[in-house]
Amino acid sequence: MSLTRVLRFSKALRFERRLAAPHVGRSEKVTSRIQLQRRFRTDCRSLAYAKDLFLGKVNKAEVFPYPEIGNEELEEINQLVAPVEKFFAEDVDSKLIDHEATIPSETLKGLKELGLFGIQIPEEYGGLGLSNTMYARLGEIFCLDGSIAVTLAAHQAIGLKGILMLGTEEQKTKYLPRLATGEHIAAFCLTEPGSGSDAASIQTRATLTEDGKHYLLNGSKFWISNGGLAEIMTVFARTEVVDKDGQKKDKITAFIVERAFGGVTSGKPEDKLGIRGSNTCEVTFEDTKVPVENVIGEVGGGFKVAMNILNSGRFSMGSASAGIIKTLIGLAAEYAGTRKQFNRRLSEFGMIQDKFALMAQNAFVMESMAYLTAGMMDRPGLPDCSVEAAMVKVFSSEGLWICVSEALQVLGGLGYTKNFPYERYLRDSRILLIFEGTNEILRMYIALTGMQYAGRILTGKIKEMKKGNVGVVFELLGKKLRDSVVKTVDLGLTGNNGVVHPSLTESAKKFEENVVFFGSTVENLLYRYGKTIVDEQLVLKRVADVLINLYAMTAVLSRASRSISIGLRNHDHEVLLANNFCSEAYFKNNYLMTQLQKNSPENNDANIKKIAMDILEKRAYICSHPLDRTF
Amino acid sequence: MNSARRLLQTQYFRCLAAAPNYRASVQHVVFAHPPRRTSLSQLQWPRSFHGSPGCSQNRPVTTAVGQGGEKKEKSLVTYDELFEQVARDAKSKATFNRVVDIFSKRDVRRRGHVEFIYAALKKMPEFGVERDIAVYNKLLDVFPKEVLVARNFIQRMFNHYPRQQECGVQVLEQMENYGIMPNVETKVLLVQIFGDKSHPVRKYQRLMYWFPKFKHANPFPVPRDLPQDPVDLARLSLGRIANDLDSTTTVYQMPSTDLSETGEEISLPHIVGTQSPDQRSLLAKHNPSRPVFVEGPLPLWLRGTCVYYYVLRADPPPPEEKVEEPCDPELFGPGQSIFYPLVVDLALDRDLGDDYSFDVDDVEEGVVYAMCMTGQGDQATLGRWISGLQETNPILGQIPTLFRLESGPRELQGASETPRGPDIEAEPRTMEHEPFPEEEHQHSQGMKQ
Repeated sequence: MSLTRVLRFSKALRFERRLAAPHVGRSEKVTSRIQLQRRFRTDCRSLAYAKDLFLGKVNKAEVFPYPEIGNEELEEINQLVAPVEKFFAEDVDSKLIDHEATIPSETLKGLKELGLFGIQIPEEYGGLGLSNTMYARLGEIFCLDGSIAVTLAAHQAIGLKGILMLGTEEQKTKYLPRLATGEHIAAFCLTEPGSGSDAASIQTRATLTEDGKHYLLNGSKFWISNGGLAEIMTVFARTEVVDKDGQKKDKITAFIVERAFGGVTSGKPEDKLGIRGSNTCEVTFEDTKVPVENVIGEVGGGFKVAMNILNSGRFSMGSASAGIIKTLIGLAAEYAGTRKQFNRRLSEFGMIQDKFALMAQNAFVMESMAYLTAGMMDRPGLPDCSVEAAMVKVFSSEGLWICVSEALQVLGGLGYTKNFPYERYLRDSRILLIFEGTNEILRMYIALTGMQYAGRILTGKIKEMKKGNVGVVFELLGKKLRDSVVKTVDLGLTGNNGVVHPSLTESAKKFEENVVFFGSTVENLLYRYGKTIVDEQLVLKRVADVLINLYAMTAVLSRASRSISIGLRNHDHEVLLANNFCSEAYFKNNYLMTQLQKNSPENNDANIKKIAMDILEKRAYICSHPLDRTF
Repeated sequence: MNSARRLLQTQYFRCLAAAPNYRASVQHVVFAHPPRRTSLSQLQWPRSFHGSPGCSQNRPVTTAVGQGGEKKEKSLVTYDELFEQVARDAKSKATFNRVVDIFSKRDVRRRGHVEFIYAALKKMPEFGVERDIAVYNKLLDVFPKEVLVARNFIQRMFNHYPRQQECGVQVLEQMENYGIMPNVETKVLLVQIFGDKSHPVRKYQRLMYWFPKFKHANPFPVPRDLPQDPVDLARLSLGRIANDLDSTTTVYQMPSTDLSETGEEISLPHIVGTQSPDQRSLLAKHNPSRPVFVEGPLPLWLRGTCVYYYVLRADPPPPEEKVEEPCDPELFGPGQSIFYPLVVDLALDRDLGDDYSFDVDDVEEGVVYAMCMTGQGDQATLGRWISGLQETNPILGQIPTLFRLESGPRELQGASETPRGPDIEAEPRTMEHEPFPEEEHQHSQGMKQ
């Protein structure tokens, strides 16, 4: 016990950051070999970048060099982008869409003609057959109208993804062609009145008919994007499944439901704050007859289907947000350059410059993260990038909300009026923090997935430490000694055989330092909380925030290194942004991780919880009014 | 503040006008009865100030120097009689004030004002003015102004006019006991009468220090005046017991009296019940083969009033019936989310150094499913409550309901109680429903399917 105590005390000290050093050293050699062989590798990767960060490791091979697309692909995408841009600039009246709360049919027709309803559907089914990367590129443009972006995303990022990813050949040939042309619009029906993020409480039920050929679907779904337009719906419902032990249990199954099956009614479209042109309504199923062939995946396998669909749809939000910010930077910079106050241009004021720097940096980071993730997803095999995609979603949705608000601030009162698009973007962007899994829930997902992964690997070691194993203790003490002598961390990103350009060396060093500190923090947290970490939401929030920052740092380091190496235009600006972001993120991370140490004075969690409990108990603000008196 | 200042001025001028007389009279009294005097001050009585804490109960003037016992006795009786005379027909604030006015105007010297004030303090609850700050101020106003103020440091150091000061303190103490906060007028009066730094002013300052601090110390304050209507009272009481913001209080039966065909008077007691959604869902999960119990009456004290309530509860489920549902990530079991894992599958527990939970010896108790208050705690009435509950909890139709009622008061206690003094309020009344040993076998045990 006393040994454990010694350990715990020593863990509080900084030396602990280097805990994982020997492991890293070993993996370093392995990864550098992998990197050499990388070009010849076509099999599915077994490594996961974000999860390995939890162990204090950097899988360089995963993220360096920054993913590229071939020249032909680039040309193809440029050819596609030009008409779409033209269409959005000339034929889409976002103000009207927002005001009328509906997308005009001519606009929808134009979108269909451009093939935007089947971007990722393979060409043999009549789609464009584009990769995730190219989808992200198009997303940059169609996000310029929030309503259209949501309509398109609900259609193809989640609505028809089930058929595309897990559907049978028959299902694909039957449904995809008409979905690709936009003749039919798809929707994704998961949420129910009683269940938001908690899908467990799904009440919609599918019962097998006596002949065993159909399911009868009953129940209602809430907040269904495209609910009123959709012809084809992916619906999740409870079905009775006989499990291994021969017991009957309720499991979730995914179905393809056509409106033509009958019994499908959609309610009045919701009146929303933003994305007003998109159709969101309640969909009710009443004895809808669904043939058994329309089950997606296995009966009872709906949980996995839903997870896969949702996890794969999030990455594009990064490029979309970056697209909006880039547009707003242009608009606001125009204003700041012309408007004069006190005989000086707005652009000369430090506080205005600050806003532009913030916007540019955010856009740069989002873009980097989005295309890095898209590139990872486009690699052969079925890479699991769900954590990365979730991180992109969280970072970009929050960044966008701040950036739009700052852009509006540049214009002051003008930005608040409906004469300018800022207020619309502000309203539209608010939804990104909410849908496809709220950011709170995604943070939990990010942190817990990583904790689970790290926990599996570290359990043995931690148990030994708790037992007070002399060997482990001496190993630790040895590390402590080594740490006190050698202060720098080297994960091999820089120096000889480094993957980061020398002009980013300092940022890379900061990143490495953070990663190692993060690894030891995670170990410390697992040591302290074990499996009860699930209930430590404030801890998990910080873990997720650190990881998001680390991933963002990776993305900008990788991207800027590539840009500078191949000499892209304005690469010096990229280096500047990358260095600035890394430096900011470094200090943020250090602060967050300091808060995660035991008995840290920076950590106010106990107070925060108490404040919240006091208030929530009474369900009101409980302070007396400042003007109140007692005598 | 303005009004206070004006008040101060007017009082001051009034006093100035009257002061010489008072002073003369007081000094006259003092010199007329030369007792054991200290050499320090002629106006200093040798008696210790803290000598008599229970003045309000006992006759406070027992040690009054220079007056024979009979005379003293007589004087207080006189003042008692004064109150009785004036308030022969009605005891109210107006009559009380009139008595005080009569006393003040009777004698410009206000002879015997200390005795009068003690008598008045005793009479206050009778007149129902014991919680009226204006009356206390009026009472303080009886004291002569200016004359009792210490004029030099030696007087201030010792007990100047101890009887008068003690009487002033007594007035404040009664205010304290009734929880009445002094106001600015009180302060002005005290300063005029006794001077700053006198004992009554000190007492006032202490009151003003502690009273505001304790004013909101109770997070669950009971209103001073409880509702008279038994249904409202039941609502209030149930709201206090079931401190759940979601719980709904339902009136299952309003009190009413009917005349039956035979001419008998049938009175229907009120039945007010409360149940929260959590309780409802717990009841829905109750194993129908196990009975639920209606128990009571259980006492609840609201200030000086005791009310009784009944609970619907179950015994704690036996250990074999408790099933932990295993968590299957594939399955939409309870508490699974599509978005993130609700359980981390690790063999590590929380470290002891981070386990701040207390080691509490848990005693498992049965769940309370609902509570009610009724004017009549018999089985028939409570059966009506259960059938009312059944409308929202259909499962009650399948669960056997046992009535385990103690023979207790059949009527709601104390709803129409007379206001009580503070000393009585503190001690709980002896409950009238104490189960008598011979009645115990009469506990009604009925079964309702």
